[in-house]
Amino acid sequence: MQWKLLDYIPFLINGVPWTLALVCFGLAMGFSIGLPLSVIDTFGSKRVARVIGAYVWFFRGTPLLVLLSLLYWGVLPSLGIKASPFLASVLALGLRSSAYQSQIFRSAFLSIESGQLLAARSIGMSDSQALINVLIPQALRIALPSWSNEYAVMLKDSSICFALGVMEILTRAKYVSTATGLALFPFLIAGILYLVLTQVGVGIAELVHRRFRIPGTVGVSNC
Amino acid sequence: MVGRYLGVLLLGLVIGLALGYALTGSQARSQDGCLYKPGKFAYPPEEGKEVVIVYGFDANYPPFTLMQPNGTPVGFDVDVMNLIARKYGWKIVYKPWDWSTIVTALENGDIDVIASGMTFNAPRSQKIWFSVPYYSYVHQLVVLREDGRSLDEILNSGEYVAVQIGSTADEWADRLLKAGYNFKKLGLDSYVAALQALLDGRASAFITDSAFLGPYLKRNPQVEAKVRVAGELGAPNVYAIATRPQDKWLRDRINEALEELMDSPVWNELLRKWGLD
Repeated sequence: MQWKLLDYIPFLINGVPWTLALVCFGLAMGFSIGLPLSVIDTFGSKRVARVIGAYVWFFRGTPLLVLLSLLYWGVLPSLGIKASPFLASVLALGLRSSAYQSQIFRSAFLSIESGQLLAARSIGMSDSQALINVLIPQALRIALPSWSNEYAVMLKDSSICFALGVMEILTRAKYVSTATGLALFPFLIAGILYLVLTQVGVGIAELVHRRFRIPGTVGVSNC
Repeated sequence: MVGRYLGVLLLGLVIGLALGYALTGSQARSQDGCLYKPGKFAYPPEEGKEVVIVYGFDANYPPFTLMQPNGTPVGFDVDVMNLIARKYGWKIVYKPWDWSTIVTALENGDIDVIASGMTFNAPRSQKIWFSVPYYSYVHQLVVLREDGRSLDEILNSGEYVAVQIGSTADEWADRLLKAGYNFKKLGLDSYVAALQALLDGRASAFITDSAFLGPYLKRNPQVEAKVRVAGELGAPNVYAIATRPQDKWLRDRINEALEELMDSPVWNELLRKWGLD
């Protein structure tokens, strides 16, 4: 039996939902952990900030494949958790992204003028009210361009999950390459799919940014 | 600074403890008087209970295991596993897995069998147990047709020799390098990629096995016209189906079915179908 590359196009495209699921869950997990971490890192005590610094240092400095293997073959089984390859992949992507996202949001918090917190306090807001109503809404908007970059990075990084047999785009391209005996074209198609997904995702983030940006505040100097 | 180092230390401790627990846990399992604890398929299943076998394979090894456009696997080994399953009425769940971690996946219980052109050898037998062998092959050194050098000349040329990482061909390259041969190993992620490296001129030779090369050249005559086998390496090896050591019942059933299948005309049809005759 010998199939042509064209026969495999739907098979390759069927990898897109897997890749998107990895990225969406990974980004969501990264956001859920990264945002609280950034708040504690920026506004919490120095001691806690140092622990978060160590967390960020570890997850930013470890190659994704090492993290994936560590979770799937070591940490999760030793805790008695029988995670599927997909879940382990999401955990690895999410934990790593949380370290990056915490720094994205931290820089956004730091870019907000400190006077705003004082102003919020002066009108009777508590610190947590100021955080939820004044600082976080602004930080999310300021962070959006960098956050969309995190999407683009994770999209491509998700291809490493082939190591656990997750049927995402690159895993499929590899199988197609073997089945058709073509070394270049399956990967070229995979590359085009990644390009399109990156463009669409970044485009959506750009639209959201345009809709929600705060005119005149982002990047404004103190002059 | 102190807090940062404490944090790192804490993380290291947590990971170390987790890994330590995993390692000592697995040791404890084998020290309770038996060589192995009863596995998932150590004994016959309860009457009337459906047997579901998770079949692990690397879909990068034609003609033994490869993917169809509809996303289901095909190949010689897939046909063999399907015939075994049909004989006993088992349900097969296909699980593609990366070759480099497939043995660990079997040990961990992610998959129940490996039938994917897996060579039966001593190092692997320490971890996983094999069925009766069902196919034999030999390792070959392949070069471009216009390259008239002998096997020794190529292996002492200092040039690149392509192999699939983690394969028995890779083990052969290491063995030759250890024996003092002078070449550079080019490790790639599949036999197809390694052969492509030879055709592109990125490598001067390619170590493969006859089980891959023969059927591949039959399907790709344009490639066959460009390459030649410069020589064979070592004695023939065999493929077998791998199971966890403790899954004796499953292995016995596989052996029974394999022997029956190999003694029937269906076996020759299968070999012919996949170009392995």
